[in-house]
Order: sequence, then structure tokens, then C-alpha cells
Amino acid sequence: MNDSSSSSRARLEIIAIAVIATLLIVVIPVLNAQGVISNFHLNLWGKYLCYALLAISVDLLWGHTGLLSLGQALFFALGGYMHGMYLMRMIGDLGQHKQPIPDFLVFLGWTKLPAFWEPFDSFGFALAMVFVLPGIVALIFGFLAFRSRIKGVYFSILTQALTYAGALIFFRNNTLMGGNNGFTDFKFILGFDFRDPATPRWLFIATAVTLLLVFLGCRWLHTTKFGLVQRAVRDGENRVLFSGYASAHYKLFVFVLAAIIAAVGGALYVPQVGIINPSEMTPDKSLEAVVWVAVGGRATLIGPIIGAISVNALKSWATRAIPDLWLVLLGGLFILVVLFLPGGLVSLPKRLAPLWQKFRRPSAPAAESAGKAAKQ
Amino acid sequence: MKFLLRLFCALACSLTLSHAFAAEDETPRQTLARAILAENAATKRTILGSLVGRADEEVGELLVAWRQDALFIYTTPDNTRIPVRLIGPADAAGTHAAVRVIDGEPLTDAAGAPLRLDKGDLESVDHNANLRRAMKAVLDLIDLGAALPAKRIQAIKTIGQSQDAEKLPAIQARLEIETDKNAIVALREARALIMLKSAKDEDRLEALRELKEVHTLSSTDFIKGALSDAQRRNHTQLTNAARAALNAVDLHRAKVDFFGTLFRSLSLGSILLIVALGLAITFGLMGVINMAHGEMIAIGAYTTYVVQNIFGSGLALSPFGISLSLPGINSSGWVYQSYFIVALPLSFLCAAFVGILLERSVIQFLYRRPLESLLATWGVSLILQQILRLTFGANNVQVSSPIYLSGNWTVNDILFGWNRVFVICFAGLIVFGVYLVLTRTSLGLLIRAVMQNRGMAACMGVRTTRVNMLTFGLGSGLAGLAGAFLSQIGNVGPSLGQSYIVDSFMVVVVGGVGNLVGTVISGLGIGSLDQFIQQYSPALASAFATVPFVGGFLQNLAQDSAVFGKILVLCGIILFLQWRPAGLFVTRTRSLD
Amino acid sequence: MITKFGKLLGVGALALGALLGTARAADTVKVGVLHSLSGTMAISETSLRDVLLFTFDEINAAGGIKVGGKSYKIEPVVVDGASNWPLFAEKAKQLLEQDKVAVTFGCWTSVSRKSVLPVFEKNNGLLFYPVQYEGEEESQNVAYTAEAVNQQATPAVDYLLEQGYTKFYLLGSDYVYPQTTNLVLLEYLLSKGVPIENIGGGFRKDESGKIISAGKYTPFGHTDYQQIVAEIKQFAAGGGAAVISTLNGDTNVPFFKEYAASGLTADTCPVVSFSISEDEFRGLPADQLVGQLGCWTYFQSINTPANKKFVSDFKAWLAKSTVPGIVKEGRVTCSPMVLSYNGVYLWKAAVEKAGTFDVDAVREAWKSGISFDGPAGKVTTQPNMHLTKNVYIGETKSDGQFKILQSFDNVYGEPWLKGKFK
Repeated sequence: MNDSSSSSRARLEIIAIAVIATLLIVVIPVLNAQGVISNFHLNLWGKYLCYALLAISVDLLWGHTGLLSLGQALFFALGGYMHGMYLMRMIGDLGQHKQPIPDFLVFLGWTKLPAFWEPFDSFGFALAMVFVLPGIVALIFGFLAFRSRIKGVYFSILTQALTYAGALIFFRNNTLMGGNNGFTDFKFILGFDFRDPATPRWLFIATAVTLLLVFLGCRWLHTTKFGLVQRAVRDGENRVLFSGYASAHYKLFVFVLAAIIAAVGGALYVPQVGIINPSEMTPDKSLEAVVWVAVGGRATLIGPIIGAISVNALKSWATRAIPDLWLVLLGGLFILVVLFLPGGLVSLPKRLAPLWQKFRRPSAPAAESAGKAAKQ
Repeated sequence: MKFLLRLFCALACSLTLSHAFAAEDETPRQTLARAILAENAATKRTILGSLVGRADEEVGELLVAWRQDALFIYTTPDNTRIPVRLIGPADAAGTHAAVRVIDGEPLTDAAGAPLRLDKGDLESVDHNANLRRAMKAVLDLIDLGAALPAKRIQAIKTIGQSQDAEKLPAIQARLEIETDKNAIVALREARALIMLKSAKDEDRLEALRELKEVHTLSSTDFIKGALSDAQRRNHTQLTNAARAALNAVDLHRAKVDFFGTLFRSLSLGSILLIVALGLAITFGLMGVINMAHGEMIAIGAYTTYVVQNIFGSGLALSPFGISLSLPGINSSGWVYQSYFIVALPLSFLCAAFVGILLERSVIQFLYRRPLESLLATWGVSLILQQILRLTFGANNVQVSSPIYLSGNWTVNDILFGWNRVFVICFAGLIVFGVYLVLTRTSLGLLIRAVMQNRGMAACMGVRTTRVNMLTFGLGSGLAGLAGAFLSQIGNVGPSLGQSYIVDSFMVVVVGGVGNLVGTVISGLGIGSLDQFIQQYSPALASAFATVPFVGGFLQNLAQDSAVFGKILVLCGIILFLQWRPAGLFVTRTRSLD
Repeated sequence: MITKFGKLLGVGALALGALLGTARAADTVKVGVLHSLSGTMAISETSLRDVLLFTFDEINAAGGIKVGGKSYKIEPVVVDGASNWPLFAEKAKQLLEQDKVAVTFGCWTSVSRKSVLPVFEKNNGLLFYPVQYEGEEESQNVAYTAEAVNQQATPAVDYLLEQGYTKFYLLGSDYVYPQTTNLVLLEYLLSKGVPIENIGGGFRKDESGKIISAGKYTPFGHTDYQQIVAEIKQFAAGGGAAVISTLNGDTNVPFFKEYAASGLTADTCPVVSFSISEDEFRGLPADQLVGQLGCWTYFQSINTPANKKFVSDFKAWLAKSTVPGIVKEGRVTCSPMVLSYNGVYLWKAAVEKAGTFDVDAVREAWKSGISFDGPAGKVTTQPNMHLTKNVYIGETKSDGQFKILQSFDNVYGEPWLKGKFK
């Protein structure tokens, strides 16, 4: 009974995933090409999907491993910057200054390209750096942090410090990464013009495919022995240690993996929003991503995606409809979710199910047991 | 044509000049009155120039009044313009008694009865930077005899820097009767600087020797000038003397920099300590990751702002479209200046009140879920920020420093700002106070008991909810107190707290969670590290260039000393926690997980 | 029969509705307002939103914009950029693609302008940008009502040189505007014969030894100016020194408090600031700042009937405004506000001249040179999308206003300055 119900649930899940995936990867882009969905909304959704990648990376750490990292925005932005460097090079001499180096370098009085910029002419190199640089930063920081068994709140605060330090460095104009203005005014990607409506469409498809792959990958990881250890670390790290597992290695691997997922999200984010700058890597942005996960539902994989999309959609709406009060609304939402809905939006159907049953058959005792079953 | 023009110019010049120096026998007061009534700024300046050396204390006072916009021009019914100074307090009708600038006699009407005037009806006497400089030249010579040493020294310095040989006798004369140590140094420097301009080499040599003796920072540029001049002329003796003087100054500068940095470290450390102390209680003792800590600081700062306005002319607010006006008591002088003393306890109480509200409404449900308290309090922080913005406006508000907190005390060129000294003393007092509360009162005992083991304390009959509430209130109140101090050194705006939140957490974590002594040491340590890096990193920039791979990057970074300080501190903290993962002072416990 | 009649009726109603709809739509024109109403930049930008809404009301009350024999009322679409730069780009897209606004007034920081620029270029929109900026940009889709560097920084330096100052300390927040301005000023000072050792704040050079950055920079939100003020005190010890500050709004308070506490005054070493207007002044300790200098193309203290009317009208509007979150007390007017105000009227004039709201036609009208007599005197549009305007130098008074010391009339806005002064 139990077996068949779980397998039927799994089948249902697979169908749901397939439907949503087709919707995102095929239906929406086609509708956009037909002019049913406006470019503006497609672009907006592309942005939300990138945020969903960031949210998954937060959940992988916080939901599944018990590490609340406030440094994910740093990796997200680093990925964005690496891709952004390539996009800046593709502007060529079409910038404001009509010179072969990026505008902000001309601003700073440079006449030739600094050496570390040169390899970014190649898309392949930039793509590799999207993985490598955030990976290395995460590896070094993670190694130091996990070696000395920094955990819990300490880990959160240290990752926050890391992000803050990163933002300070990138805010400097003399870091030669565009300073406060960051990178903007992109013209081409792989030879395609950004002004052509097909380019954002393909970027959207690429984002949706990546999200699907990451989602499936994490889902698979969850079922492996690795995933089991991961959750064990979350629930009782000392017991894992005493059982002979080097929990630090597991944590380090997850940390680096999450950093890379965030970085990929950032790399897809930059061409779609058209700007990357250091305010994307301030501690606030990390906190926001954590909130998406909390709102959507921690440790559920689908929750972070729902959370990222719903909170950002709310933000897009509120900054237009109630510009003065949207921060109050957003803040209030976080508090309410944390206090009254610890399982996030994903848990809402389960929480409401008993109510619904009661409403339908007020006196039937079966409803009670169904509710209980749902709870388990 | 050209000739005519030139002639005309010359005539015009001589006319203004003769006009300016027309009456040799007029009193300084009369000259001043003439300057006030003169047509344009240039003429005013020329006339003021003629006052140099002739003016007395009385005229000095009038000049100061001019600069402070207290001089006016009264136009009589028959259109005569009379420069006057308003004196005494305003009466019920808002009028003041007036004295004439020209002779210091009270202003009277045709019948001889004294007139009382309203500021609003009078033409004010303008001034600009040029005029003020001309006034200063007059005042400086008067100030040579000023009673306050600081005023005297400022005057001496300005005279010295003007390198005007004509003023040498005045300096010389003052030097003979001067008793103040600092003023003597300033006089020696001024004399040497004037002599440095002399045409005779032996005078210059003598001047350079003197400058080496006094080694004042202000003489640097002049010595450098003399050095390059001597080198150009290939004058070995002068070159050597200039070099020696410069070395002496540089040595002195190094000392000033070092001790100055030490003081600045202490002051920054104290500020970090004050802002982190509240967090050391809410986060360190209670384990609540209170992201709204920054907003508690902001509430304290805004309380100071409100108190200041109530002591002044009142305050009108429009929170959420409601008009709210707080009446002011319109105090002035010392009563007004004491607003800050009143604001201190009030800012503590306001922030504590908000803190208790927060604890009751949100945090009490989250003691078992510390990481989620982070999210909820972040939400609270967003809401509080926007409420502050909607109540007080998005703009920063203006908090003025009371007299006893502005100004400084300079010893041997090392600057001790009074606000900084005050912050350091108060940090000490607050820490001591918190220590006493925690260790010497029954509340402190209960707090420590509940924080160590909430369940056990409850079993022993401690009303833990009440203790939790009070502890959180204490932590928030301390944050509010910090806000009151920060209003004296930084801006007061809705996002004030955001600038300090990361720093506060760092201080608590490095100190060791739950340990007050650790917080003190880490606050001071982080402050000093930051200040010393800021002071010395530009000089060390070239040394960083030798680091492999990232050398160029580090060298570049080290030149932006303000950022470099912060970044190195953050990196330092990460590395420090390698060595002591639980901070400086570890609370020992046998429990696992 | 009935159904047929019903259908007919329906069609008629639809047609009527469409007619009414178009008629109503034709009476208004949508105009975007894109400023930060929350976040760190709300401190400056909310005032611009206020003045824009005031201007729209003023124009609407006077009959609106007259195009092709019809009057159009302005219908503002206010959105919050929330001091978040990608959000600025998103909101710009929304305004242009969803709301189809005819023009947008907005942005404060360089980065927000840079982030929306591609959006405006792609959709061929028109943005009016009202805040002093670094230049080195000339987009066809931006009307720069803002001060260029030569309408603010170089006149201020001229004034200081004229006053006999010989040493200059360059201090700024680390972003594009200060960096560029300081590089231009460095060139300018050197061209005026100021020796390089008299320019303080430090230099950064590239491998070839060429100076790529001049001045001292602090990050946004920096609060500790002890060390920098101590350095300035040493720099100014020998007299004749002035500080040229491009610190942005927020950091000015800790800087000036520290400055005053160290005993430096406007008499011993004046500070000329390019980012402090009357509006920022409201949060500064005015009594500690008396005599410091500012340079803008408008001061509230300008003594002309036009300005007095503008100030009193704005205050009257504030008093009866019902916009949520508007602050009514202690309000002042300042240069970016007046440049926003001028912008709206210049746009109106350009539209009326072009006879259409079409961006290309409006741009051509702008380039042909339109004048408007604003609160700060006459402003004239230039072919390079900038404005010719009057520049004023003022010194601060204890009541938070500026006393005007000198004015330069009809200064041409020149965005490309680097390398000009040799």
C-alpha cells in the first residue's frame, strides 16, 4: 500500500515536472514568438528563473545540509561578473567612447586593456571562469571554515562578512571591474544582437533548461547515499562524525556545488537584466534569497523555486502599485511566514487540507484521519 | 585712445585710494563705519586694509559682529544710512537696543530718545570670503594680544604664513612678553617663516635652524620651498640646513601620526564597542540573531533628534498622512545645550520599549529557532526602516552637537576631539554599568540563569518570559544609547543602522558569544587594526607589490586605505576564527549539539 | 428579432465605448517618473518625485500640453526603483513597453542611468536626467538637464584660484562621478599652473607611470573620517589650502562633523562640495558648516520674482498635497529639483514645437534650441542633448541656505572634457 502510493506519487511528480518543464521551455517561448506574451513579461520571468537557481543553491545548503550561508549573493554576482566580462568585450568599439576597451576603463584613463581582461574575449574561457572562480573562492573559504568546525550562526555571520568584503572590493573603481556602475550596455552575445527579440527568448529557454537540469540533478543527489549523509549532517553532525564520516568533506563539496549553481544563475541573469554591479553582492541580497527559500518552503527543492518566483512577482507588482509601503508589506510577509508557516508556501495545501475536509464533510470522522495521514 | 583709457584708470585708482586713506585723523570706528557704507566689496576691502595695525579690541568686536551678521544699516526718515549694532535680548515686540558703529553711542531719534529696532526692518551688512579675509588680517594683529591662547596662536600662525616682513616687529614684540608655551613655539615659527623670505642667506640659515628646533608641521611646505630653492642655487649650506629641518619635521610627524592613530583606534574601538554591546546581550546571551539591531540604534538616534527639537522650537511630523506637531519649549543657552543629557536616558527607554514590543510580538516564538529569528528580525528591520522613513522623511535629519561636544584639545599636534573623548569615557561607563547589572543585581543573576539553561531556570521558579523580555529590552536599550552617541558623529537617517550591523556582529563573534570581556577586547582590537591599516597602508603599498600573483592587485588596493582597512579586518577575522573558532573567550559547555 | 436587435445594440455600445475610450485616452498623456522611493537613494530622490508631481499639476491646471489643437493632461506613472539598479532597468522596461509612456523623468545615480540607458535606446524612449554627472556620455535617448562637469566643478575651481588658494585636496566617494571629475580637475589645475605636489589625496598610476586616478576615495556609507581629516589637517597646516569634495550625500555628515571637531573652518581651509544642495543640507549640522562653498546652477536664495513664485507655489502645493508619504514640513528647493522642473517645461515646449509626442520629433525640436525662463534664469537646449544655463557659486549660511557669491551666465554644457585641458 505504502509502496504503491509513494510510487504513484512519484509518477505524479514526474508528470508535473514534465508539464511545467514543457510549459517553460516550449510553450512560453512559442507564445512569446506569437506575440501573446510580451517581451517584457518573458524577460521578467527569465529573471525570476535565475533567482530560482540562486534559491536552489541556498536551499541545498540551508535546507538539506543545515548551513545557512549568507554568501550566496557573492557567488551569484561573481558568476554574473565573469560572464559580464565576456559581454563587455563583445561591445567592441560601440561604447560611448567608440574605443576598443570598455567605457569605464576609458573613464579611468586606461588606453589599453589590463592583462587579466584579455582572455575574456573568448566565450569558452568566460564560461569556464563562471564555474572556476566562484568554485575556488568557495573551496578556499569552505576549507578554512569547515576545517575549524565553524557552524551554525557563526557560519552565517562569516559568510556575510565574506560577501561584504567582496562587495567592498568590487565597489572600488580601481579594481577595474566597473566600480559602482558595474557592467552594462551590452550589445551582443555569441554574435546575436540583444535588440533582436529572439535573443532574450533563447536566453529564457537556456535559463529554463538549466533550471530543469539543476533541479533534476539536486533531486537525484537527494536520493543517493550522499544526500543521506548530507541530511544527517544537518540533523546531527556530531553523530555523523562519530560514525566515521568526515563531515567536513561533505560540507565542502556541497558548499562548492551550491556556489557553482548560484554562479550559473548569475551568469544567466546578467544578459537578461542587462546589468551587473556590486550591489548584487551585498549581504542584503543573500538575505533576500534566504527569505525566498523560507517563503517557498525549506528543504523541498520545489519550494525555493516557488518562493523565488512568488516573492519577486510580488515585489515587481508592489514597487509599482504601492511604492511607499511595499517594504512594510514584504517585511510583514517574512515575519508571518516565519511565525505561522514554517513549512513555507509548499506546506500550505497540507495545512489547509484538514480545513478543506472539515468544510466538505463537517461530521465525517474519516476527514480527521485523512488529515493526519496528510500531515505524516 | 589707449592713453586716455590708461589715464582714466590711473585717475580712478588714485581717486579710490585717496578716498580710502582720506582721513588720517579718523578713529578706527569711523573707518569701519565708512567701510560698511562703501559702495562695493572691493572698496570695502581697501578701507578695511587701512585698519590693519590701527584697530583696537573694540573694533575687533565689531568686526566679529559683522562676520556673525549682527551689524545692520538703519535708514533714518531723511534717508541717512547709519551702521548700527543690535545689542541685548529682544523684547516682546522683537526689537533690540541699537548702538552706532561710528562712536558706540546708543542710536536715538530726532528727539534724542533711544530707538529700538527690529532685525527684519533693517538692511543687513553683507560679507564674503574676501572681506572676511581682510577682516581677519585686521583681527589677527588685534588677536596677537588676545586673552585666549588658542585665538592668539591662530593669529600668530596666519601672520607667519603670510611671510610679511612688515609684521616682524609685532611678532618680535609679542615674543618678549609671551608666556604661553604653545604660543611661544608659534611665535618662533612665525618669526622664522618671515625670516625665510629674507634676501640675506644668513637670515635664512638662521630661520631654517630655528624651524628645525620648533619642527612644526605647518612649516613643511615652506621648508620644502626653501630646499628646492637652495638646490636650484646649488647652495650646499642652505640645502643641508633645509634637509635637517625637514627631517626634524618628518620625525615629529611620524610621532604625531603614531599617537594620533592610537587615539583614533581607541575612539573607533569605543564606537564599535558601544554599537555591539546591545548585540552582545541579545545575540551573545540570548542567541537571537537580531537583524533589527541596527534599527534599534536608529530609534535611539531619532529620539535624540526629537528631544533636541522639543528643547528647541518644536517639531512637526506627518507620519502616514497624519499631521502631528510636538510643541517646543524654545529654550536657549545652557538649557538647550543640555538636551543631549536628557536624550541619553530617553533614547535608552524608547529603544528598550520597542525592543520589548518586538520580543513579545515576534521573538518569543523563536527561541528554539535561532536561524529563523534572523529572517523574522530582518523583516522587522525592513518595516522599521520604512516606518522611520514615512515618519521623519527619507532625508537625513539634523542633530547639532552641544558646545561641550564640539571642539578639540590639541597636545603637541595630536588631536583629541571632545566628542571622541566623550565617547571613549562613556563606552567605559556603559560597559562597567552592564557588568554591574549582570553580576551584582538579582536581575543579572536571573538573566544569567535563564540564558544558561532556560528550562532549568523555569523549573526553579524563575519567570523566564519576564526575564527574556527584560533582557531583550536591556539589549535594545543599549543599542538605542549607541544611537544617541552616533548622532554626534554621523548622520541620522532611516538606514543609519545598516552601516553598523555587519560590524556589530563581527565584534560579538570575535569576542566570543556570551562574553562581555571578549566583546570589549574585540571591539578595541578591530578598531585599532582598522585605524593602523588606514594610516600605514599607502606607505606600504609598494611592499605589497612583491606578493606573487596578486601583488599588483594588492598594491592598487592598499592605496584606497579606507576600503583596504575594512577588507583586511574582515579577512583577519576569518583567519582569526581558524585559530579560535568560538572567539576570544569560549563559554565552556559539556553539551554537544 | 430580439437577438438581432440585441446584437445590434451590443455592437453599437461597443463602438460607442471605443469612441469614448479613445476620446478619453486622447486627453491624457502618460509620463513616467522613475525614482527611488525606498532604499539608500530615497534620501535624495523622493524630493524629485515631489517636484515632478507639482510640475505636472501646475501644467495641467494651466490647460495641459497643446498638441494639434488639443490639450493633453499629463498622467504621471510613478514607479519605485528602490535603489536597486536591475530593478531600475526592469521598471524602465515596464514604463516603455507596458505603460507606453511618452517620456520619463528619472534617475539620480550614474549607475541607475547606465542601467536604464540600453532600455531607452532599444525602445527609442526619452529620459530626462536632472542630476549633476560626470559627462563622457551623449545618448540620443537622454535629455541631460543635469550639470556637466564644466557647469559645476571647473567654475568652482576658477573661483578658488581667484580667491588665492594654492593647495587642493581632492576627496570623493568611490564611484564614477568623483573619479571622472577629479581626473578632469587634475588636468584643469595642472593647466592653471598648480604644481602637482600641491594637489592632495594621492594618485594611482598605471604601469607606464600615467596617472589614472587622483584623490582620496571612501566607499558609500563610510562613517569613519578620523584618519582622512587628520591628513587634511596636516595638508592644510601651511595655509592656502582648500578641499574639493565629491563625497555623496550620506557620508558628508560624518565628514563635516569630524572636520569641525578637528578645528578646521571655512576660514582656514574651505570645502567646496558638489553634492550638497539645500536638500542635503537639511540633514547636516548647518552651524558647523557656515562659510563652506557650493556650486550649482540654482540656489533657493536666488532673488528673482520667478524663483520666489516657484518656491511659494511649490510650498503651497505641498501643503495641500495628498500624495502618501510626502513630507510637508521644512521643505526646500534645490538644483536637481529645479532641473527636473525645467525638464518638464522644456519637454512640453519641445512637444508643442514638434506638434507630436513622437520621440524623434521631440528630439529634433530639442536640438533646434528651445529656451525656457525657469527659476534660475534662462536655460537653452543644445544639439548635444545638454543645456546651457547659469552657474552660481554660493557659501553656506547657518539657516541652511546659500549666499550667492558669484555667477557665470550661460555656460555651455560640455560632456566631453577629459584631455581638454593640457
